[in-house]
Amino acid sequence: MTVVDMPTDAGHDVEVSLEANLSPARRIADHAATAAMVLSFAVAAVPLVMIIGYVFLKGGQVVDMAFLTEAIPNSYRRVGPGMGPAVVGTVIITAAASAMAIPLGVLGAIYLNEYGKQNRLARTIRFMADVMTGVPSVVMGVFVYVVWVLRFREQTGFAGSLALACLMLPIVIRTTEEMLRLVPDELRLASLALGARRWRTTLTVVLPAALPGITSGAMLAVARAAGETAPILLVTGLTFDTNWSLFEGNNTTLAAQIFRNASQPYEGAQLRAYGAAFTLILLVFACTIVARIISARFSTTR
Amino acid sequence: MRLVRFLAVVTVMVSGALLGSGCGNSRAKASDPIAVPSGPMTELAKQVPGRIKGAGASFPDAFYQEAVAGLRQVATKLSVTYEAVGSAAGREAFGQGLSDFAGTDSLVGEDDPIAAGTFRYIPTVAASIAVVVNLPGVTDLRLTPEALAGIFQGDIGRWNDPAITASNPGQELPDREIVVARRADGSGTTKNFTRYLDRAADNWRLGGDDTVEWPSHTQGGQQNSGVAQIVIDTAGAIGYVDYGNAAQLGLTMAAIRNRAGRFVAPSIAATQAAIDSSELTEELTYDPLDAPGADAYPITAPTYLLVRSSYDDATTGRAVVTFVRWLVTEAADTYAADLGFAPLPERFRTAALSALDQIQIDPR
Repeated sequence: MTVVDMPTDAGHDVEVSLEANLSPARRIADHAATAAMVLSFAVAAVPLVMIIGYVFLKGGQVVDMAFLTEAIPNSYRRVGPGMGPAVVGTVIITAAASAMAIPLGVLGAIYLNEYGKQNRLARTIRFMADVMTGVPSVVMGVFVYVVWVLRFREQTGFAGSLALACLMLPIVIRTTEEMLRLVPDELRLASLALGARRWRTTLTVVLPAALPGITSGAMLAVARAAGETAPILLVTGLTFDTNWSLFEGNNTTLAAQIFRNASQPYEGAQLRAYGAAFTLILLVFACTIVARIISARFSTTR
Repeated sequence: MRLVRFLAVVTVMVSGALLGSGCGNSRAKASDPIAVPSGPMTELAKQVPGRIKGAGASFPDAFYQEAVAGLRQVATKLSVTYEAVGSAAGREAFGQGLSDFAGTDSLVGEDDPIAAGTFRYIPTVAASIAVVVNLPGVTDLRLTPEALAGIFQGDIGRWNDPAITASNPGQELPDREIVVARRADGSGTTKNFTRYLDRAADNWRLGGDDTVEWPSHTQGGQQNSGVAQIVIDTAGAIGYVDYGNAAQLGLTMAAIRNRAGRFVAPSIAATQAAIDSSELTEELTYDPLDAPGADAYPITAPTYLLVRSSYDDATTGRAVVTFVRWLVTEAADTYAADLGFAPLPERFRTAALSALDQIQIDPR
């Protein structure tokens, strides 16, 4: 099964099977361990495959153009399409949150890894970012509710964006910093030795080298934000009609609609929840693909 | 290269899913079209522009949502959103200025951030709070207020308890554990239900409020539909939900002994009998719980909209008043009964309309 190269006296590489030399007891142990690992993988894959399969099966039934564009039925009891407002809401709220959190998070991580390193401010920021990662999302929702929604007396999509940006920020900071740390120092030194300044080194050498990883981290944050329910319910309210405005009027997202509809005893509502789940998965998928294409263009590592 | 392969896999998966959705499974058909309202109030609503939002009670949600959807068909300039967040949360949002009107089944209390004199109650519809059970094989169940109280506070743990069988002669009740489903959120339905038990059953100990200290073995559901869902999913369960949800879902509803000593099952007629014998107060509230009529269903609950006494924004104020005027008259006639809600008698409507006339839309 396993084959290794073993140098011989003659200097030739001769392939020797490990199994040939194994005692029966060790061979059994080897097979048992392999079987256990395969089994563990299968067990771990079962829920994943089932979740995706079930959502695709149930949600696929209802998702079509009408479902993606029409207004949400007011009454849970009604069957038929409509998640248009939630699709629009998810896109604009998550986009606005990403526009705030990703640049800020990447710049912050650059400061931490390239400039701050181990000084007191950097250590404090790093620690706070770690703490923020562990804060439950509903706490961010309450925070935004108190400082933003109650002040302006209106639940808006932008309030949702703020809460999601607060959630995304620590994830972006920490993943980006990890990625920057993986860039070998030799690259920086070489760049500096060629006369490039630190900002130019960071911009043209370090960032492109780390770009695929940074993109993955950012996408992770986007996916988490797009699927967030608790803060959205709290700060963006609800709408049954498409609202393109971030700053005026209530809004809604797919995740919030999944929550609202899935808990209803009516079949129409439950199907809409599955459809919304299906749509959300596709949306995050599409977003990831686009991000991969963009990062592949600018990356230097592939 | 890896990117290309990734894209290929994704394309295959997505197109497979869409293909699967295109053929084979037929889309769920839309049920009956939403009724189109008509009448003088509807004509008025067509003229008025505005974008208003309300939040609150989930008890009348089915009626409000159907009415809003109906209005949207004819009144294109008026956009109304109602969010069923529960009575308590609705009053809080109203007090904080996050909504233009609120829905509530219970009255404004001291804990609510709403100053007295800044709002009006407008009664909209009423409905029975049905006691629903999931007992396979049992379609008729009679419960006394005392048995109901015993079940919900955990004194009675099994369905064949003598306190239950005594009022169901000739009925074989299973030796099954009772699972109590109740509201998890602050709820006007809970308040009316527990206030009823507090009034009608001497053995009730938990008081009457939006939330009470339920025994730990009870299961909490979000909103009326969440409680209904628990009852549907659990054999041996009992819960309380609005009559409209119970009827729509085909749940088994218990007949409750009313003050006249008769066992009455929830229905629109029994709800109306309970309203008919209740008095409207100065501030337009009424209390149909444990009503004296022989045909009255004892757990009948009112539901109100809270509107502000004066609106700073004239457009918003005019839109709210126009919408609520329409809601209590033509909308109630068109939609309420089909959804399990009882429209209010004429004397209630007259009072509600004159209260709406007094709302200051453009102070200064």
